[in-house]
Amino acid sequence: MRILLDGFTKSFGPMTVIDKMTLEIRDGEMLALLGPSGCGKSTTLFAICGIHKISAGRILFGDRDVTNVASQQRNVGVVFQSYALYPHMTVAENIAFPLEVKKLKAAEIKRQVDQMAELVHIEELMKRRPAELSGGQQQRVALARALVRKPDVLLLDEPLANLDSKLRLEMRSEIRRLQLATGITAILVTHDQVEAMSMCDRIAIMNAGEIVQIATPGEMYRNPRTEFVAGFLGNPPIAFLHGVATSGGFASVGGEAIALPASVPLPPPGSKLTLGIRPEHFGPTGNIPIRGRISFIETQGRENLYDVTLPSGSMLRSIQPLRGDVALNEEIEWSIAGDRILVFDEHGTRL
Amino acid sequence: MNSSKKLGLLLITPAAIVVVMLFLVPVVLTAVFAFTNMSTSTGISGGAYQISPNALQELRDHYDMPSVAERLSQSGFAVDEPGLAALGKAGIDADIVTELRGHIGETFAARRDAERAIRNLNHRPSLREVKQISDQFNRSIMNARYDSKAALLAAVASVMPNLSGAEHQAIIAASYTGWTWTTGNFRRMASIPGTQRSLVNTMVYVAFTLTLFNIGFAMVLAITTFYMPSRAAGFFRGVWLLPRISPPVIYVLLWKWLAWDTGFLSVFLGRFGIHSRNWMLDSGTNAWVFVVLINGFVGASMGMLIFSSALQAIPRPLLYASEVDGASRWQQIWHIIMPQLRWPILFVTCYQTLSLLTSFDLILLSTNGGPGGSTEVWALATYHTALNNYAGNLEYGYGAAMALVLVVVGVFLSLAYLRLFNYRDLVAKPLIEH
Repeated sequence: MRILLDGFTKSFGPMTVIDKMTLEIRDGEMLALLGPSGCGKSTTLFAICGIHKISAGRILFGDRDVTNVASQQRNVGVVFQSYALYPHMTVAENIAFPLEVKKLKAAEIKRQVDQMAELVHIEELMKRRPAELSGGQQQRVALARALVRKPDVLLLDEPLANLDSKLRLEMRSEIRRLQLATGITAILVTHDQVEAMSMCDRIAIMNAGEIVQIATPGEMYRNPRTEFVAGFLGNPPIAFLHGVATSGGFASVGGEAIALPASVPLPPPGSKLTLGIRPEHFGPTGNIPIRGRISFIETQGRENLYDVTLPSGSMLRSIQPLRGDVALNEEIEWSIAGDRILVFDEHGTRL
Repeated sequence: MNSSKKLGLLLITPAAIVVVMLFLVPVVLTAVFAFTNMSTSTGISGGAYQISPNALQELRDHYDMPSVAERLSQSGFAVDEPGLAALGKAGIDADIVTELRGHIGETFAARRDAERAIRNLNHRPSLREVKQISDQFNRSIMNARYDSKAALLAAVASVMPNLSGAEHQAIIAASYTGWTWTTGNFRRMASIPGTQRSLVNTMVYVAFTLTLFNIGFAMVLAITTFYMPSRAAGFFRGVWLLPRISPPVIYVLLWKWLAWDTGFLSVFLGRFGIHSRNWMLDSGTNAWVFVVLINGFVGASMGMLIFSSALQAIPRPLLYASEVDGASRWQQIWHIIMPQLRWPILFVTCYQTLSLLTSFDLILLSTNGGPGGSTEVWALATYHTALNNYAGNLEYGYGAAMALVLVVVGVFLSLAYLRLFNYRDLVAKPLIEH
C-alpha cells in the first residue's frame, strides 16, 4: 500500500525536529530511511506507526488519512531494534498476540501463526520463550509477529543493529526475501549505508530532520546530490579535497593544482570547492596524475586499501586488487579518473 | 579469615547488639513466658503459699482430694495445750487459763463462735483479752499467707497431722500464689471461643485490606499514574503518600471526626434526614469498613510505589509493540503489564501479609477492637490480654502464648515466601564473571 507523508512536522516541546517533510513510499516498495543518529529517522517511523502523534501535516495509507488514527487501528507491523518480544509468552503466543487481541477464533489463529512460522522458518521454536532464543531467532519471531496481521506497511527500526556480523548478513537477505515474498510495503530505518543499499529499492537519506535525497541505491552512489550524501554512502568512504577553483582546474588548500577535464562544471575562479574522489577512482589508471606517499595499507583480503598522503597533507584513498610492488611510506604517482570526480560548492551542493 | 572480614564483623557489632537486644531477646522471652501462667495476680517474681478458696477448689477438682479440702476449710479455732501455754506467756490471768483448760479439745469453725465461747467464761475476760485469747487458739490456715513451703506444711500439720507425701505436694501446688510452668495456655487457647473469633477477624482484616487496598488500590494508583503526564502523576502519588507520613494518632483522629455522631458524616447526612450516629462503631460491619479503609489508605502507598517503579522498568518498546499489535489499553494492561508485575505483586502480598498480621496500632486507636470485639484481631487481642484490659488482670503468660502463635505463623510464612522467591537463587553467586 502506498504511504504518503504530507508536510509531516514533529516537535518535541519548543524544538522542531522535523519540519514539513514530504515522503512517498510506493506500493510494494522497500524504502530505507538512512541517516546518522539524531537525524529524525526513528521519529518518522514512530509517526508512521502512530506511537508519536504528529505536530502538523498528514499521513495517508493508500487513500485513507490515518493522521488521527490510534496506532491500534492503523494496521502496521513493526520490528523494533530490541525486537520487543513479550518475555512471558512463548514464541507461538508472541506471534498470535496481534490476532488474539482481535479476538479471532483459536483455530484460525493457529492456522495463521503456523503459516507465518513456516514463512520465517521457526516451526521448531514455537514452544520456547524469547529468552531461550538467539538474536537471529528473536529477529525472525519479531518479523513473524509484525507480519501476521497482514499489515499495510512493515516498519523496521534498526532491525540488524543487535546482531553479529555473520547473522546480519544472513538476516539482511532474509528480510528482503520476506518483503518480496509478501509484497508488502516496507520502511527500513538504519544508520548503516550497506544495509540500506543492499536491502532496499530506494533510499531516503536524512540529515538534521530533512530528506536530502531520495534515489535508488545505485543512482545515489553515482550521483549524490550533496557532499553529505557522498560522504555517507560508500565503504571505504569517499575522500574529500578542499580548495578553490582556478581557471580550468582546482587548487587545494595545501597547494596541489589539479587540472580538471572540461566535463566538470566549474564556478568562477576563486570560489571555494570540494572535490570528492571515491577510492575506486584513484589508482594506477586514470587521467589526472598526482603524487603522494603511502601512509597506510589496510589489507581487506581480496583488495587492499591504501591511504595516500599528498605533499600538502590532504589524503586520498585508493582501493586496488592485491599487489606486492608498493610498500608503506613509498612515494607513488597514481591517477584520478577525472570524469568521476564529484565537485561540490562551499555549501556542499553538487555542481 | 582475612582482615576485611574481621573489620566487617567489628562494624556490624553495634547493630548486631541492638538487633539481639530489641528483637531476638523479646522473641525468646515471649517463648519462655508462653509456657507460664504469669499474670497480675501471680506477679512476675516468686509467690507465697495461701490456702485460698481457689486453692481448695483446685484440690477438689484437679487433685481429687475433696476430703483434704474439706478438712482444710473446716480448720478453725481449737482449745489445745500449745495455746494454753502461749496464753500463760502472754500474761493472761491464770484463772482464765485454768478455766479454759476445762474446755480443752473443743473446736470452733469461726472466730465469732470461738470468741462468744470465751466471752461466756465465768471469769469474764475483757474485750482486749478475748482477742488475745482467740488469737492464741486460732488454728485456721484459710487465707493465711506463708512465705515458705515449710511454714505452710507446719500450719497444715497443726490441723491435719497425718497427711501423705502426695497430699503435701498437692496442697503446696494448689496453694502456691506465684507463677508456674504450664502448657495450659495452649490448651486454653484451643478450647475457648474467643480464639476462633480473633482468628476469623484476623483473616477478614488481612484479606480485605490486602486485596482491596494494599494490592488492588495500589495497582489502580500505579497504573493510572503511569499513563498520566509525569507532573500530574507525581502529584497524585504524593497525595497518596500523605496518610503514610502523617502521625498515626492525628490520622485516626481525623477519621474519628469524620465518623462520630457529631462528626462530618452525621452532620452532612443529617441534612437528608438521616439520624446522627457514630458511623464507625455503629455496627460490626461499619467498624470493619472503617478499619479496612483506615489501614488501606496507609498501606496502599507502598504497593503504589513498588508497582510504579516496576512499571517504569518495563521496556518502552514492549508497550509500543503491544499498541501497534492492536492491543487496547485494557488488553495492554492485562496481557503485557500485569504479567510483568507478577513478582512485585507477590512481593507486596508477602510483605504486607506479614506486616498486617502483626500490626494493630490503627485498630487500637480507631475502634479498639469494638464494637463488642467484632474488630478485635489476633494481635490486638494479644495486646489486650497481656498488657491492657478492662478487668485489670493482665495475663502475661497467656498473652505471650498468643504472641508466640503469631511469631510461629510469621516465621513459617517468611520461610515459605523465601522459598517462593527462590531466595537461594537470588543470593547465589552469579555464573558470569564480572
